[in-house]
Amino acid sequence: MTQKSSFLTKLGQVVAVLLVTALFVALGLWQLQRAADLKESLKVARAVDMNVVPLESITSPRQAIPPSALNRTVSITGKYIANFKAANQKDGNGVIQDWEVALLQVGDRSAILIVRGLWSERLLNPDIAQSMDIQIEGLLVASQDGDRARNQPGEISRLDSAVVTSLTDLDLFDGYVVATSEATRNQSLERTRVVPEKLQSRIPGFYWQHLSYVVIWWLMAAVVVFLPFYRRRVST
Amino acid sequence: MSGAMKRFRVMAIIAGVMSLLLWFVDLPVVYLLNNDDWKSMVAWIPFVHGWIYAAYVLTALQFATKARWSLKKTVWLILAGTLPIASFAAERRVVRQYS
Repeated sequence: MTQKSSFLTKLGQVVAVLLVTALFVALGLWQLQRAADLKESLKVARAVDMNVVPLESITSPRQAIPPSALNRTVSITGKYIANFKAANQKDGNGVIQDWEVALLQVGDRSAILIVRGLWSERLLNPDIAQSMDIQIEGLLVASQDGDRARNQPGEISRLDSAVVTSLTDLDLFDGYVVATSEATRNQSLERTRVVPEKLQSRIPGFYWQHLSYVVIWWLMAAVVVFLPFYRRRVST
Repeated sequence: MSGAMKRFRVMAIIAGVMSLLLWFVDLPVVYLLNNDDWKSMVAWIPFVHGWIYAAYVLTALQFATKARWSLKKTVWLILAGTLPIASFAAERRVVRQYS
């Protein structure tokens, strides 16, 4: 009986050591994957493709933007159906201002958020009617994660189609477009355009940071394997 | 034993300082304040804390093994490095018990 319980205790210890080791190895592999993902997303974020492509050729409504579509210059034609103030937005030069953002209906069933320019210049084109077709060119950017302001009537807390889903039945595109030009059939709309913020990876941390965590987790796995032998050596 | 204890004491103090920085500087800046400049200024804290804590665990394991501590006590000693103040308390306790 004593022999049996001693065997079971040892077996339990071996299983525990193996489980903890496997956990640490898995955490190391997870960090390795995050390092690889980060490297890949940085490649996408740094690439600037100046070719103009139709929005619907690179992304679809109700789907996450594919990484290859981020940072692309897109063209869209549609009608503005709503206007919002997006407060406390930081541009590529680090200047924080309030922006004018519009919801553009594209075709019959879909819509996307467009950063038109500064909120202070929203009255510059009073002749733009909501039924008017507008051709837009701009940069397709990933939705913002953190709120910059409070959601209230006429104002959105961040540039993210998720915050306007309750206001429309249309299928929304993920992300938003920072307009570089707007034109109606007759005229080009002149106003100060926003310089988009430098694109960053959405995976937090640095590449080498993730790699160093791999080393830490695997070191811990090695320690767990080595510890029983070390305890035995110390006790003899 | 005295070498292992010295190493543990040094790492307990450094890990305690890093835990204080992590809990009371890094986490409030990242999760409560909306300032990217401040966030980038404190980005080194979790990174350094990760490495310091790994070194703390190694010294704690060596000390606990040499002192023939039970597994339960050893686990508490390791966990003490994750909370601010706790590693300082562990260091004082070790000094009282073994000096």
